[in-house]
Amino acid sequence: MNTLSITKSSKSALALSLLVAFSFSDIAIAADTKIPRLNGKPDFSGIWQTTSAADYDLEPHSNRKNTPPSAGIVEGGLIPYLPEAFAKKQKNFEARETLDPALKGYTLGVPRSVYYPEPFQIFQRKQDLTLVHQLGHSVRTIYTNGTPHPEDPNDWWLGDSRGHWEGDTLVVDVKHFNDKTWLDKAGNFHSDAFHVVEKWAFLDANTIEYKATIEDPKVYSHPWNIDVILYRHREKDFQLIEDYRFTLDYDEFYPPKQ
Amino acid sequence: MKKNMLKHYLGVSGLAFIGMALLPQITHAADTDKPKTEQKPAAQGNGGGMPREKSFPKISSEKWTGARLADGQPDVSGFWSNTIGNHGNFTDPQGGIINDPNPNRIPKGARADRAPSRVSDPIDGQVPFQPWALEKVKEFQVKFHDPTTQNFVEPLARCAPGGVPKSLYWHGYEIKQYPNYVVFFFDSGTRIIHLDDKAHLPSKIKLWNGDSRGHWEGNTLVVDVSNHNGKALFGRSGEFISENGHIEEHYIFNKENTRYNYEAVFTDPTVYTKPFTVTIPARRWTVADKPDSWNFDVWFAKDSAGKTTVEHEERICTENNGGFGLGAV
Repeated sequence: MNTLSITKSSKSALALSLLVAFSFSDIAIAADTKIPRLNGKPDFSGIWQTTSAADYDLEPHSNRKNTPPSAGIVEGGLIPYLPEAFAKKQKNFEARETLDPALKGYTLGVPRSVYYPEPFQIFQRKQDLTLVHQLGHSVRTIYTNGTPHPEDPNDWWLGDSRGHWEGDTLVVDVKHFNDKTWLDKAGNFHSDAFHVVEKWAFLDANTIEYKATIEDPKVYSHPWNIDVILYRHREKDFQLIEDYRFTLDYDEFYPPKQ
Repeated sequence: MKKNMLKHYLGVSGLAFIGMALLPQITHAADTDKPKTEQKPAAQGNGGGMPREKSFPKISSEKWTGARLADGQPDVSGFWSNTIGNHGNFTDPQGGIINDPNPNRIPKGARADRAPSRVSDPIDGQVPFQPWALEKVKEFQVKFHDPTTQNFVEPLARCAPGGVPKSLYWHGYEIKQYPNYVVFFFDSGTRIIHLDDKAHLPSKIKLWNGDSRGHWEGNTLVVDVSNHNGKALFGRSGEFISENGHIEEHYIFNKENTRYNYEAVFTDPTVYTKPFTVTIPARRWTVADKPDSWNFDVWFAKDSAGKTTVEHEERICTENNGGFGLGAV
């Protein structure tokens, strides 16, 4: 702008265009500086947790014993179960207080590990993001180095996560799951044909919008979407505290006592 | 669908027995399916055929001249393992399991022909246990082979985290570094070492891996570990630290960034008569090495630039309804 020569006749028009230009550039600068970045990409490093009631039940529900009411996080409200799968979901629901794998402290799977109500920490490098979940200290690596899904690997509790950047959104393709995890405490479930496409994007420096498209032709009639907000833990000196809950059944036997 | 069996080291049969006796039922045979891995050597019980050194070089604490990360930390990220033996025997790492009922597994040579004790000070190589604690350890070493009560099961066999220091001499592991953090990813457990100056967690909180605060001094990562729950044991030989213990660790990396020695002082007025030092040698593994199913249990991939990268199996244990490796722990 300094190099422009300003004539009297064009002054007011220029003033207006400068105003407009500065307004636009302010927005551009805001996008550039107000979220943390690493190698030019959004830097999700930090400790995150949802405040939503998603883990109680992804679908809309009234209050129940030990469950707050919630509008759910499924776009359109309901999960499009195939008839047989819906019957299984109902059985799971009835037995949820004994069958929920999370009660055993098991690795939660994807996407449940993201909205389970315990903190998780994202450690980010150029080539990968490593998610450490407080529950079980489960570890998920999201590769962002262009490596492909392995061909025909084992089925995994957390699946295999390959990510890439679309602008400031991290898009992660997750597959090669087993059929052992649930999606919430209410018994929503999937098979080993489960496939999740995640989208991670900052709303602001301390807030992530997490969206996922979920498909499983053995269980759902068509793909469906969830949308949940994650907040950064900003308490002073906040840290993960390992929660190997599956050891509680035998903790009492160690160490030797005097 | 493939079974989610991670490991197939059917190691010491006595351990398989323990698994059968005391763990939830083992429902699957070992599965050798793994992605992108080469043919693996059969596991040989006490370490899966790992190359084992009988001696190892001393590494001095000095300034770091190697590569650094953007935040200034020495770059020691990558895959590592110990070089002398697994957790079968803490003070005689190549000596087999104490009181092993199978004579074929007891080493025939002299003690001096094997790697030294991990207890490097005092020079007798023994943990300076108080009498009551020594009695407990001796009892464990007998009953381990036929555990009649739960306290004689080595907790790693039940998928408990390996804890400090055992995690460093079980399977190989990965170190990743970030501003303010060094993170160890073990096959059983994750250790997050905080490099900022925040205080330890409240002492009432007790953890399998303790609570770690570290800083770099030249080529040495110095870590203060507190908040131990004391439950992890140091191996099949039953040594332990209590909730009152404290560990001061030095990870001393060599100039070439190919090895480090772990030297740590263990203090615990409840269990030991005096502090003692533990030394554990470690080596780096790279894409130039062949995956070996124990110390470097990985497969290779190609990134978008055509560079070979190293990937590791999901770290899962308790979910498989049996010990890591379904018996070989």
